Order: sequence, then C-alpha cells, then structure tokens
Amino acid sequence: MKRRFKKKAGFMVAIILMLAIALNVFASTADEIIKKSQAAFFYPGKDFKSRIIMKLISKGGQERIRELTMLRKNYGEHGGDQKYFIYFFHPADVRGMTFMVYKYPAKDDDRWLFVPAINMVRRIAAQDKRSSFVGSDFTYEDVSGRDIEDDTHVIVREERIGNRDCYVVKSTPKAADVDYSYKISWIDKANFLPLKEEYFDKRGQPYKVFSADEIKDIKGFPTVMKRTMKNLQSGHRTEVTFTKADYNLGIENSLFSERYLKQPPKKWIE
Amino acid sequence: MKKAITKLVEFSIQRPKLVVLLTIILTALFAIQFPKIKIDTDPENMLRKDEPIRVFHNQVKKEFGIEELIVLGIVRDDGIFHQDSLEKIKKITDEILKIKGVIADDVVSLTVTNNVVTKNGTLNVRPPMLEVPKTLEDLERLEREILDNPLFKDRLVSSDGKGAAIYIPIESKDIAHEIGEKVKAIYQKEKGPEKYYLAGLPIAEDTFGYEMFVQMAFTAPMAGGLLMIVFFIIFRRISFVLPPMMVAMLAVVWTMGALIGSGFTVHIMSSMIPVFLMPIAICETVHILSDFHEKLPQVNDRKKAILQVFDELVKPLFFAPITTAVGFADLALADIPPVKVFGIFIAIGVMIAWLLSMTFLPAILVLIKEKKPILKEESGSRILGWVGRFSLGKSLAVVIAGVILLSVALYGITLLIVNDNPVKWFKKHHPIRIADRELNKLIGGTYISYLVLEGSSEDDIKKPEVIGYIEGLQKHLSKNSLVGKTTSVVDVVKRVNYVLYDEDKRYEILPTDKETMGQYLFLFLMSSSPDELDNFIDYSFKKANIWVQLRSGDNRDMTSVVKDVDDYVKGNPLPKGMKMEWSGLPYLNITWQGLMVTGMLKATIGTSWVVFFLMILQFRSFWWGAVGILPLAFSVVFSYGLIGFGGKEYDMPIAVCSTLAIGLGDDFAIHFIQRFRYRYQETGNLQSAMELTMGGEPALAIFRNAFIVGLGFLPMVFATLTPYMTVGLFFGSLAFFAGITTLIFLPALIGSFKGLLLKKFKHEGV
Repeated sequence: MKRRFKKKAGFMVAIILMLAIALNVFASTADEIIKKSQAAFFYPGKDFKSRIIMKLISKGGQERIRELTMLRKNYGEHGGDQKYFIYFFHPADVRGMTFMVYKYPAKDDDRWLFVPAINMVRRIAAQDKRSSFVGSDFTYEDVSGRDIEDDTHVIVREERIGNRDCYVVKSTPKAADVDYSYKISWIDKANFLPLKEEYFDKRGQPYKVFSADEIKDIKGFPTVMKRTMKNLQSGHRTEVTFTKADYNLGIENSLFSERYLKQPPKKWIE
Repeated sequence: MKKAITKLVEFSIQRPKLVVLLTIILTALFAIQFPKIKIDTDPENMLRKDEPIRVFHNQVKKEFGIEELIVLGIVRDDGIFHQDSLEKIKKITDEILKIKGVIADDVVSLTVTNNVVTKNGTLNVRPPMLEVPKTLEDLERLEREILDNPLFKDRLVSSDGKGAAIYIPIESKDIAHEIGEKVKAIYQKEKGPEKYYLAGLPIAEDTFGYEMFVQMAFTAPMAGGLLMIVFFIIFRRISFVLPPMMVAMLAVVWTMGALIGSGFTVHIMSSMIPVFLMPIAICETVHILSDFHEKLPQVNDRKKAILQVFDELVKPLFFAPITTAVGFADLALADIPPVKVFGIFIAIGVMIAWLLSMTFLPAILVLIKEKKPILKEESGSRILGWVGRFSLGKSLAVVIAGVILLSVALYGITLLIVNDNPVKWFKKHHPIRIADRELNKLIGGTYISYLVLEGSSEDDIKKPEVIGYIEGLQKHLSKNSLVGKTTSVVDVVKRVNYVLYDEDKRYEILPTDKETMGQYLFLFLMSSSPDELDNFIDYSFKKANIWVQLRSGDNRDMTSVVKDVDDYVKGNPLPKGMKMEWSGLPYLNITWQGLMVTGMLKATIGTSWVVFFLMILQFRSFWWGAVGILPLAFSVVFSYGLIGFGGKEYDMPIAVCSTLAIGLGDDFAIHFIQRFRYRYQETGNLQSAMELTMGGEPALAIFRNAFIVGLGFLPMVFATLTPYMTVGLFFGSLAFFAGITTLIFLPALIGSFKGLLLKKFKHEGV
C-alpha cells in the first residue's frame, strides 16, 4: 500500500515535471518566435532606405497623402538601438521638413523635428510609444517594434493564411497603460514576418487590424512592401507602400544629427 | 346615402350581439399589431430625409468626423483641482471608455485629450492629466496649464476652475438615453462634494422619447378616468358612461393598430393621435346619447328611440366627421413627414369612430337594460335658452362685442414669440433641465452648431486671408453673449506658434504666410492621432469647420446668432471664392421649427379653406358656410391671442394642438347649424327655432362636449413633459372658445344677418 502510494506519487511528480517543462518550452518558443519575427520585420540588414507613400484614409473615404524617404540604421544586436531619419516630400507645403528618432528599446525615444518655414529644430517629447507615428494609424511601436519583455506571449494555435503556414501568437501587455488589452499575430513560419495582427480593446472588442499585403525579397531580405493598419472603431485606415527599398547602403552615423536635419544630403534623401 | 346608413343602424339594433362580437374580433386583429411598434423620437425626422439642410448636416458630420455628443459636467464649489476630485474624473473617464456604444477614441476628457505644451525646450504632446497630481504645486501647475490653453478653457474646465466636462461621443442618437443611464450609474457610485450634470441635445431628445411613453401610460388613463367622471356627472349612469368611452378607446386601438401594422414609426407627433382622437370620437357619441336621452322617455322603447335619434341626426352625424376627416387628411399636403402621417391617421380614426357610432354604439345601447328614465330637468338647458334669447335679442351688440374681442385677440397674436427648445419639453425641475442650466453656466455651452467655410480648391483654408477671416469672425462672435465659445483651426495654429516659441504670449498669433501655416498644421497632425484635426478641417484643407457653442437651446437664440453672422458677413465680405454655411443640431432645429410654424400655419389655413368649401357644399349656401367656419377660426385666433398675451412661446406642441380646432369647430358648427335649420324649417320662425335649438338638446350636447373636452384633458397639466401640459391647457382653451363662439356668437350672427342667411335658405326650402 505504502509502496504503491510512493509509486503513484513519483508518477505524479514526473507528470507535473514534464508538464512544467513542456509549458516552459512552449512559452520560450512563443518568445523565440516573437524575437525572430521582430528581427525579420524591424531589423533586417545593417541599414535600410526606402521611399514611402503613406495614404491616410478617413471613414468617409477622404485621403491625405504623405510621401517621404525613411532611412534606418541598426546599432548593436537585433532588438537593440536604432536611428531613423525621415524627409518629407509631400504635402507640397511641408517639403523639406525632416524628422529624426533615436530609438531605445527600454527607455523613451529621442525625437527631433525641423520646421523649415521658421528654420527651427525642436525636440519632441516621446513618453508614449503607443502614440501615432506621423499622424497615421501606425504607432511608433508598429514602425520600430515593441520590447519583447513588455508582453507575455503564448502560441494559441497554428493556422494557414493563404498558402502560408503561420504561428498564431497571443501577446498580452503586462502593464495596464496600453491602449489595447491583447494582440493576436499570425507569423509566417518560413520567414517570420507578421502577416496579420488583430488588436482588441479593453472591452474585448476588435480594435485595430494590421495586414502585410505584399512581400518581396530584397537583397535576400523578405520585405513587407505594402501594409495596412485599420482602426475598426473609427473606420480610419493607413496604407503604406515602399518603393526603392534597399539594404546595407553604408549610411554614415553623422547623418543622424541636428546639422543634417536642417540640410539633409541629397544622395540619401532622393 | 341616408338610406344606407339607416340600414346599418337598423342592422346593428336587430343583431346587437353579432355586431359586438364582430367589433371584438376586429379590435383583437388591430391590437395584435401593437407589439410591432417602432418608436422614433428624433425631432430631426420632422424634416424630409432629402431636405437640403439635413443632407448637408449629415455631410458635415461625415466630413468632419462629428458624432452626437453627450456632456457630463463635474462641479465642485471650492474648485475641481483637488486630488480626490481629479481622481474621480480619471476613474469616471476610464469607466466611460468601456461603455459599449461610446466612441472611445473621440472621448474628450482631461485624461485622454492631447495638449501641446513646451517643457525645457521640448515639445510635449500628451493629455494634461495622464497622472493625477499629488502635491499642491503640481495641482496648481495643472490648473495653469489647462486654463492657459484656449482649446481647453471653458471647454474642458470652466474658467473659474470649479467644473470640468467630459464630452462623450456616441454611435447614434437613439442610444443616448441608454448610455446616459450607464454614465449615471458610474458617477452615482462616487461619494463626495462633487455634483454631476448630464446634458446635451441627443440625451434630451432621446430621454423625451423614453418619458413620452411613461407619460402615455400615466396621463392617458388619467385623462380617461376624469373623462368618465365628467360623463358621470352629466349622465349620472355608469351604463351611459361606458359606451362613449368604449367607442373612443376602440377608435384609438383600431387607428394605432392600423398605423403600426402598416409599418409607420410612432413619432412624437403620431404618439399624440390617441389624445386627439378621443375628444373627436366622444363629441360624436355625446350628440347621440344626448338626443337618445331626450327621446327615450317620450317613446319608452330603446330601439324606437335609437331609430328616431338617427333619423334626425344622421346628416350632421355624417357631415361633421367627414368634414373633420377631410380637414385632417388635408394635412397630408404639408411638407413635414410626421404631420402627413398624423393627418392621415386622424382622418382614418375619425371615420372609424363614426363607423363605430353607427354600429357598435347602437348595439350597446340596445343591450343595456335600464329601467328608469334617466334625466332630470336640465338646468343647463334653461341657462342656454336664456343665452340664446339674449344673443338673438341683442344680436348686433353681441356681434360688435365679438368683433372687438377678435381684434384684441389678433393683437395678442402679434405678441406671439415663436420659439422651441427640446430641452424645454421637460419641466423646470427635471434633472435634464437642471443639468442643462448648470452646465451651460459652467462651460462654453452644450449646444454645438457648426459654421462651415468652403473654398473652391485644395489648401484654400491655409491662405492667410481665409484663416484671418475665420479669426475675425470668431473674435466677433466672442462678443455675442449667446455664444459661449468658438473653436476652429485658427486656435490650433495659434497654439502651435505659441508653443514653438516657448509659450511666449507675443506669439499667440497667426503666422502670415501659407507655408508656415501648412507646416504648423502638419506638425500638429504629426504629433497627434490621425483624426485629431478632423473636427476642424477636411482632408484636402478645402473646408474649415468653426464650432460655435451656444449656452441655450432656444431656437430663438440660434436664430439671433445666425442673423449676427449674416450681418457680419454683410459688413465683412467673405474672401473670394469662399462660401459659408451653418449646420449642427441647433441649426437643424430652427429649420424644422420654421417648417413647422409656417408649415402648420399654412396647413391649418389650407385645411380651413377645405372645411369652408365643404360647409358651403353641405349647407348649399356661401353665407352659411361663412358662419359655419367661425367656431373653428375663432377658437384658433382666441387661443393664439391668449398665448400671445400670456407670454407663452409658440412651439411645436401648440402648432400641432391647434389642429384640434378642426375637429371641435366642425362638430359644433355643423350640429348647431344643421339642427337649427331643421327646426327653422319645421317652425318657420326664427325665435322659436332658436329657442328649440338653444333651449333644447342640440345646444346642450354642444355645451356638454365643450365641457367634457375642456375638463377631461386637464389632468395632462400634471404631466412631467411640457408638450402634454400644453395639450391639456390648449384643448381646454380650444373647447372653451369653440363652445362660446357656437353658443353665443352664432345665434347673434344669425340674428344680425337673418336677411342674408334665412331668406335664401327659405327660398330654397331645404
């Protein structure tokens, strides 16, 4: 009797241990997937340049078009610091406006804006990474990534989108001060790009939807050339198209300075 | 015609049980339509869907992303900038964001709406109160920051710092009451010195709809109850109280069943149909019952008495309702959709009541077994007989007195103030009225209208002369005491300039060139959410929207502000290629008020002509038609005159109520004239014909009708919604004046113009 009990207890412990390990493996796999996804989506290459057309479309179908050149350079590992430089071509009356972001994963970004009409560079405070990126439906996080540690990630299931096999990952923010309660991402098993993301608000209602609409290989890096973020509640959406995307161009560190913000070198912005 | 109707009556008294059974079955068929009821409480639906102003209003809403707004005010007498009060604002805002139907992204509150400030040379875009300040110093800093921003002052916080407001956009107007209740539940959980006020036109309008039905459930039975008591006082027999009430109730059930069953929505106007039908239906039955009472003791056989009654009355009993029905049906020509429905279904209801009076009523009268003769000697008849003799004897004096009274009433009409305000449909002490008063004292006004400036091409709004024009117009409006606050893209651009130059007051001005303007707007757009500027400017910068907040929902005040702007534009012409138009609920309200007042006036006048024409036809005399129209015309003129002197405002409910004059005026005049002429034909003598009419049953029936309608609706004076009070008082006034005109002025007129009226009549020998 006693022995049998012992045996039973031992068996139970083994099962619990195995379960714990399995769960842990599972969890780490989810974190692993997100990490790979961020590397593929936000950090490919040493640096990156693209002409970008951004269409802001209201519920009623009115459009605002923004055209800009975006330059990015990575510093350190994937998931580390980055610098962004943005030059606006359109709308016509803002041509020459420039915008610069130093992105640090664990603390507030540094942001600067140059207003050519009054020849003034201004620092812009950035305590909220969930705020809108240049007035679009994308947030700064949607452009440059969110700290992996800020969420708990769980693989919910695996699913096909079109002909692509995907992990479906649920990411729940640990802090309450985020504008959504959780996010579901469909991550391509082959290239780890997010093909679709759904955000749910605090009422549990669908809130925003991201979709990668066109993917192209550039210098061996699968790149999302067309993407859309739609706010389901306001009906507002933003469509982003990359043209002339390129990697590993050798962008100098000196570009990311207040001096070049006022007078950006032609070769980088054209 | 007469034959067919008489056949119908004969059938009903021979097969009373069958008729009652058929009536019950039909009633059940109409009653089962009731659960299909669709309610529509939106005054906007007073306007046709394709009315240009309504189309423009919806376009403005769409283009500028404007939603219907509820406003929650939180007031603390010693100032709202206390840590505990601010914490409540944060908590309440968080809770409101979670309510379904609230457009969370667009909620305006201290904790979610972005402010642009500069701190240590850094531009900072964030809500002023992300965290509730804990120290006195921080509290003071927050107060300074908010009141320093013209976009916030008097909008989010009152300039004296005593109250804060949360603007809650909702998905549609018809959930305003429901969301209002949820918001109430949230703040009622909080304890403390704060007071809470919930206001805004959508909530007033939707709550009205809700209370309308509560009122119908209370006041309609109350009116019914009092009607029964008045009936009992007159007839002193329960068994004679019930039949007319039943006819009236059945007519209401059939009509409303038909209305609901045919898919029409029950609008504020059509909800009044029962209240209008009841007196008209009752009038009809009272004539029958009065005559029946007179005849019954003489013949002592119920069936015979009924046949005699109908033999004498069939003509007026048919002509009075048909004239009324045609009169109401004529309202269908009005350009106001709910008025069309109202007119048509009252016409239908009147004819249903007539049909029931010819079938169900005689059947019931046969079935009732009563032994004793019913009526005692009527003192009323003696008095009325005396009135008749007096009016006839001193006919010229009475006519002159009437003309004088009429001119006084007409003068009273010139004093009428045309004004409406959906908030005033609630009584003074209703929470909605209180909230409205308090909140509009506090912030720049809960009545938000929009002035839309439109250019001919893209970026027109960025032109310095255009943006400068908007600034000038806003400055002008700020001097108008009715306007609490104006906000536009000008305030945004100025704010950006001011903040870029380190919050230096000298830079709280507009830049002078288009390029800077464009870059400032871009800067603001870049640093806020995608739809932050939408309320003020369209996507191509072709149109700008100036928010004009009014402190009162009186249509009169909105009209005055519109005129003020018109005058300003006359003195300061719009920049070339620009045009300007008004929109928003308060403006929509003055538009439908205009339609309602002129529309109802036109409709009533048009209807009067139709009634006049019908009377000429049935009396076969122009002059008799002219006399017959007087009770209708006089009761309206006198009632309006009374309102003018009394200082009460002419609003939608009164415009609607005046149509009852058609029902009452027709009934009184046709019965009086038809039956007087009948008696004149019998006697050939003016004095004795008048004595028989005034001293006998006809005048008594009219007097009873005036009495019943006048008193029966008095309980509505105790309703919590003012339109119902108006109905109670106005019905009384109409009944009083229609009665007086018929019973005093008609005999005098007949006396004064006997040559004109009687010669021709006698000559023709009806």
